[in-house]
Amino acid sequence: MLPLSVSERGLGGEVCPNADGERSEYWRPAAGETSPPNPLHNPFAERTDYFPEDRRRVSYALQTLWHEKTRYAAGVGAVAFSAVLMVLQVGLLLGLFETTSIPVDHTSADIWVGSQDVRSVDLGVPIGVNLHMARLTGKSGLVGQPELYLANYANLTRPNGGMERCFILGSGLDPDAAGAADVLTPELKSALTMPDSIVIDESDLNRTGLTGLGDRIKINGVEVTLVGTVRGMKSLAAPWVMCSLTTARKILATYLQPDQTTYLLVRAESPQRAKEIVNELNAEYPEMQAHTADDFSFSCRWYWLTRTKAGIAIGYAALLGLLVGAVITAQTLYSATMASAREFATLLALGIPRKKIYGLVMEQSFWVGAAGIVVAWPVVYLLSLGAAAGGAKVVLRWEVLAGAAVLTILTALGSGLFALRSVRSIQPMSLLR
Amino acid sequence: MSRSFGDGALKRFALRDVTVDLFPGQLALLMGPSGSGKSTLLAVLSGLLPPDSGQVFAEDQGRTVDVWAMTDPEREQFRLRHTGFIFQGYNLFPALTALQQLEIVLKWGAGLDNAEARSRAEDMLKRLGLDQQKSKKPAQLSGGEKQRVAIGRALVKDPTFIFADEPTSALDWENGKVVLELLRAAAHSRQASIFVVSHDDRMKEYADVIYHLNEGRLEVEHNPAAPAPIHLPVEGFS
Repeated sequence: MLPLSVSERGLGGEVCPNADGERSEYWRPAAGETSPPNPLHNPFAERTDYFPEDRRRVSYALQTLWHEKTRYAAGVGAVAFSAVLMVLQVGLLLGLFETTSIPVDHTSADIWVGSQDVRSVDLGVPIGVNLHMARLTGKSGLVGQPELYLANYANLTRPNGGMERCFILGSGLDPDAAGAADVLTPELKSALTMPDSIVIDESDLNRTGLTGLGDRIKINGVEVTLVGTVRGMKSLAAPWVMCSLTTARKILATYLQPDQTTYLLVRAESPQRAKEIVNELNAEYPEMQAHTADDFSFSCRWYWLTRTKAGIAIGYAALLGLLVGAVITAQTLYSATMASAREFATLLALGIPRKKIYGLVMEQSFWVGAAGIVVAWPVVYLLSLGAAAGGAKVVLRWEVLAGAAVLTILTALGSGLFALRSVRSIQPMSLLR
Repeated sequence: MSRSFGDGALKRFALRDVTVDLFPGQLALLMGPSGSGKSTLLAVLSGLLPPDSGQVFAEDQGRTVDVWAMTDPEREQFRLRHTGFIFQGYNLFPALTALQQLEIVLKWGAGLDNAEARSRAEDMLKRLGLDQQKSKKPAQLSGGEKQRVAIGRALVKDPTFIFADEPTSALDWENGKVVLELLRAAAHSRQASIFVVSHDDRMKEYADVIYHLNEGRLEVEHNPAAPAPIHLPVEGFS
């Protein structure tokens, strides 16, 4: 290395940046040295060339973003934060409202037939068994006989006093019964065939005042015995109470006439055929409502989501997240653009159209949004796993993920538009002092 | 041309009825004390700052045009076709390599495709002796090299006029001489008009014509001792 001495020219001399981009005093070779082609070589200025020659097709915007990672990190972080907030909130809400369709999701029936305009499984009103059974059995493509499914709210009297609403799910208990919840083991189904016996989810034990197997409580005045507990039938408002058709009919005696049921359930040859049968039934008999299991499940969730206005609350929270993301991203892009104002001013002086610089800033904002999404996804998955471990289900539907991605990119682009103010203010004249 | 700043009692003339002729193949040097209006004259001549009165005529596509009678987009197009700038700072994008600093002007300005922009930018860097530095970013270049990249950016679109505002002020004299030699070589071999603003007397020996600006008035001094076109040790513009 050449011996170095401080320049006598002092402040008027050369300045060169150090590795941190800060300007340091100028040094030059000592007298007597021949002028080297690069007399100002700064050994600390060596940097890794992230985009060497063979990769130069990377856009200027992306290259700048990568070069100034720390500067743009705040924007990427803000965008990721709003994306995570949005997806988790919607995911938690969907997870929460999944409990409203649990009876439908845990049975193996393909077609549900209920009363007119029934939109959620807990809203069915009694229908005549014979009439509806006849309508169903006339259809081809069904597998097995339609089964009764008795369902309605009931009042549960806790052992220590006090009332609790519960929801009775009375189904067939044959090994291949379409209405029997899939969480019921053969042993539990067998136990439920005993008169006045019930099974509940273990998470509902406290709520119902039950402590263990063999405990007895009254539902609608009928004394029933707990013969087992299951997992996966968590409830939101009223505990699901699984029992046989006989027990259900006894509990719901004042609600259901002997020749009535809440639903008729049946399997179909194929999902496609199930859809066709449902369409035919709804067209032929407008006074009843047939659903495929998938549609009914969605209908239950959607009904409660809109009914409770929870969607609006989530919408506001997501909007707030987007706003925070947008403001920080706009500020990041604005200051990054202003930091390059002299370079942009030089291009403008050379006659480069201003719209090219607008394009660069907009492309940068797009990449900030895209990077935010890339950062957000693993965080979303980790947090949803954490939530699941804590007992809260986060439903990550592709529609929600895609929607959040689109909103995030739009937010970033909006922030870019805001940052264009800084480009408008750049004048080449500012370079002449 | 005249140009003033401020109003009423605070009105101050930066330029008073100033006339300048710039010729192809000539390096004109504008000197004067600080605050004498040197940068104002450069800005008015180069189409960056409108004069209060007067005109700036130039040859454009075979006809004589008044730069300040154009619309803003027309003037932008004029600058794109005809002018190159070298400012006091290097104003290089920290994220881009030396080659890309030149390519961006050709791609965004002249609309050249990647291959042609690259080829012309490489050629220019080679002429400036920066062949080995083309893949380096500003942080990896010395001050002299950075100013040469800035000159390359000004010259790469082959402008008719090159305006340089204190182009050597951030350099030591050894590097400053290299810059001036490059500018002279551009003037002589490319028949460009070079207009350099400086307060450094050592530059006079490189100028064909020297203007002195003092309190808004201009005096001309021709330099009979101006050296012949210089061929640079680093492959110049011969």
